[in-house]
Amino acid sequence: MTWIFAVQEGIYLFNHDIDPYSGGSFRHSPLLLSFFATILPNSTKLASILWAVNDVVGALAMVQIYRARQNVRQSPRDTLVAALYILNPYILLSSLALSTSSIENTLMLVSIMFACQGKASASLFILSFLTHLSLSSLVVVLPILLLLIGSPVSSLASPKALQANIKRTVSLFGEFGLYFGVLTLVSTLVCGNCGWISQTWGATLMLPDLTPTTGLWWYFFTEMFDHFRPFFLMVFNVHLIIYVVPICIKFQYDPLYATFLLIGILSLFKSYTTLSDPGLFLSMIAVFPEIFYYLRHPIVTALLHLHASLLMPLFHHLWLTQGTGNANFFYATTLVFACANGAALIDCLWAGLRIAIGPDVDGYVVTQE
Amino acid sequence: MLSRQYLWPITLLHLCLGTIASPQEIFDEKLSLNTLQDGKVASKFTFTTLLNGASPRDPRTLHKEDDSQHYTLFPLALGQILREYGVTELHLTLNAGKWNYDRWGYPEEKGVGTGAELWAWMGDGANTTIDERWKGLRNSLSGLFCASIASLDELRTTSPSQSFAPEGALPDWDLPHQLRHASLPSEHVCTENLTPFLKLLPCKSLSGIAALLNPHKLFDADWHGMGVHVLWRGDEGVEVQLTFQTVSDPLRITSRKSQDWSLQSLFDRTVDRTCPVAETSQIFVTLPNRGLYSISPEPSVSKNGLAIYDVKSVNKPLNVELKWPEAFNYPLSYSSGTTPFSVKRTLTGSSQALGRLSVAITNHRTEAISVLYLETMPWLLQFFLHTLEARIDGVLAHDIISDLTYIPSVPHSRPTTFQALLHLPPKKTVQIKMDVTKAFLRYTEHPPDAQRGWDLPPAILVPVERSQNDSSSFTPLGGPVYTSTLLVDLATPDFSMPYNVIIFTCTLIAGLFGTVFNILTRKWVVVRLAAQP
Repeated sequence: MTWIFAVQEGIYLFNHDIDPYSGGSFRHSPLLLSFFATILPNSTKLASILWAVNDVVGALAMVQIYRARQNVRQSPRDTLVAALYILNPYILLSSLALSTSSIENTLMLVSIMFACQGKASASLFILSFLTHLSLSSLVVVLPILLLLIGSPVSSLASPKALQANIKRTVSLFGEFGLYFGVLTLVSTLVCGNCGWISQTWGATLMLPDLTPTTGLWWYFFTEMFDHFRPFFLMVFNVHLIIYVVPICIKFQYDPLYATFLLIGILSLFKSYTTLSDPGLFLSMIAVFPEIFYYLRHPIVTALLHLHASLLMPLFHHLWLTQGTGNANFFYATTLVFACANGAALIDCLWAGLRIAIGPDVDGYVVTQE
Repeated sequence: MLSRQYLWPITLLHLCLGTIASPQEIFDEKLSLNTLQDGKVASKFTFTTLLNGASPRDPRTLHKEDDSQHYTLFPLALGQILREYGVTELHLTLNAGKWNYDRWGYPEEKGVGTGAELWAWMGDGANTTIDERWKGLRNSLSGLFCASIASLDELRTTSPSQSFAPEGALPDWDLPHQLRHASLPSEHVCTENLTPFLKLLPCKSLSGIAALLNPHKLFDADWHGMGVHVLWRGDEGVEVQLTFQTVSDPLRITSRKSQDWSLQSLFDRTVDRTCPVAETSQIFVTLPNRGLYSISPEPSVSKNGLAIYDVKSVNKPLNVELKWPEAFNYPLSYSSGTTPFSVKRTLTGSSQALGRLSVAITNHRTEAISVLYLETMPWLLQFFLHTLEARIDGVLAHDIISDLTYIPSVPHSRPTTFQALLHLPPKKTVQIKMDVTKAFLRYTEHPPDAQRGWDLPPAILVPVERSQNDSSSFTPLGGPVYTSTLLVDLATPDFSMPYNVIIFTCTLIAGLFGTVFNILTRKWVVVRLAAQP
């Protein structure tokens, strides 16, 4: 789905006057297609340089987010934050594989960066571009709008009701809609028809391609009974967006943290996940050093990740290449991987709320009623 | 007044006389036998019924009551299907085995692709769409021939009109004609298909040449296939050709190393009676062009290396026999004779996710030839066209492939149509390679024996030349060459545990959902621990 091979195929078809959206396995946005077809020569060497640059931009954006969060101009931890992004094995591996999800990650980070700096138009434009590439990113639109009217500085420890003018989000959302509409129009002009919508966004919603991914969707819908398929597709799609409003309400005083949590939700529950989606979430933990003290089970999470990341490639190979394992092996590791990501998400959620009570005191225990 | 009273009987009499004088339906039967280079014998039965003066049904009249049709020799069951769906031209072949072009040359009946292949030309303009009529046609033929033709569904239907030009004429209705083509390589022809086939013949298998159609022997042959071809011969009328083609191996059934054969040894039967309604009934034997041989009985006519027996006039029972005094020696090499090129198609790669399709075409001629290469691939295999490359002796050659037509597949429905014109330099082997991905299917889409893999239809190569007046179309220079079928091994899910998967995934999601909302909604409290005693 996010494979560079598929992009190259799309470019080839596009250059040979065959509509890449008339079928086949090309599911990338026309924006990406025209970007690659016109600006960049089609070579793997250049692509690897581009992907490296892309990762550096992502890392710089994350450093900027970190600085905005700490409200400092420069901090001694900048290098560490950048390294945590670039050297995160999940992100590094997908960049080496030239997966387009690396580009999506960078766009996400750049959009958040601009939002932190209060540059509404730039942030919303990049966000609408990102949403074009991957429709699921709609989930982070609301927290980024809140971030634009709020402040990125940590206020996890001092929760208070939202003070900014909520009405501004409406006009900002209008701006987002405008960019989105313009990009849709441009895409349609690039393709000459609207066939791309069902091939790109439709595929995100309907899951026609059941290629194994690290996510939860593919095997579920491989094994789904035909007459329940539409129902469960609806359930899975609705389930993805059901978290947006509750998390935004709960973390209205710290929209950056809400964005971070929703990125975690995306990496768990979106339809075509890659390794780099949870990679982004895990790397972003570095932006919130204040929660580290309150994490309940970081060791368990880390071990689950270790377990999943060692077994996943192994079982994938055993099933598809070696032929000695079967699909359940790989499915089981994706379940462990989902557990690991879920554990990280829940821990961060817990810590983000727990921090408001303050540090532990002997003889007292903080819990939920 | 008297004349009016007698007019009707006279008219009727005239009509009867007219029918006798110029028959409305002509039935011809023919058997041709040909000894091949490797000692095998190719035999082809052809039963042709011509419906004089008839024309295909105009699709614009499909919603109306059809004109009544009266057939005496023409197969009624087939005729009804053709009228019902307004089919202008129809070709159905059911074959088992791989036709070896290098040893056997071009087949007499050119549709020799392994499995079932059906293609039809239909006029547009009816109230129902072509695809609806195509579906109805498939289902009816499926019932008529007891074959799984109905599974030639939209997963396998394409419209490669350049490679399957109509063989007969297309009526001039001012309507566009459309082709529908589908092939199912895993379908095998067997006795249950032959029985309905025989029922379409006027003499069944009771007399005439059709009496030789003995299922025990036919389906024992190394290669066998039956075909039904309907075409419109312009003013002559509608023609139905029922064919049965076999390649049997006389060397396999003798203990001596002898390639002698007779009708008795090939079919375990002789021709004892003629079919009384057959206009002509002939057996053609291609005589070997070298070596000593004897043929008995004496043929009615012998010319151009062909011995012709007129079944009506020769003594019966007729048992044509061809004998060689010397033992048969297998040739060390086979001359490529009638086929200008040979093809080998393979699917490489051990992974169940990726593979590579490779086609090697060797031009045997001393001049360059152009070949139209057609793949109609179900969506199970998806092409990466940008990896398409042609090499001659390992060197990239860019000018080999041109005139690319590509209709990508749609997952879970439409197959890929890939057509390219290949220029084959003289006496060279061209290697064409392309990366492919293998599809991941829903568990309900797998066949009951999923681990066996999927048969992929043969590719078709037609030698062509560019039309003089229209540079985008091609004129075929010979019959199509079918490649062998491929077997693709697709990744299978576990079929025993859909419930388990649904339960596991749902549990995990519900657990995460519950925990998240638990943490979000519950109130935080500070509890004082009781002092330790």
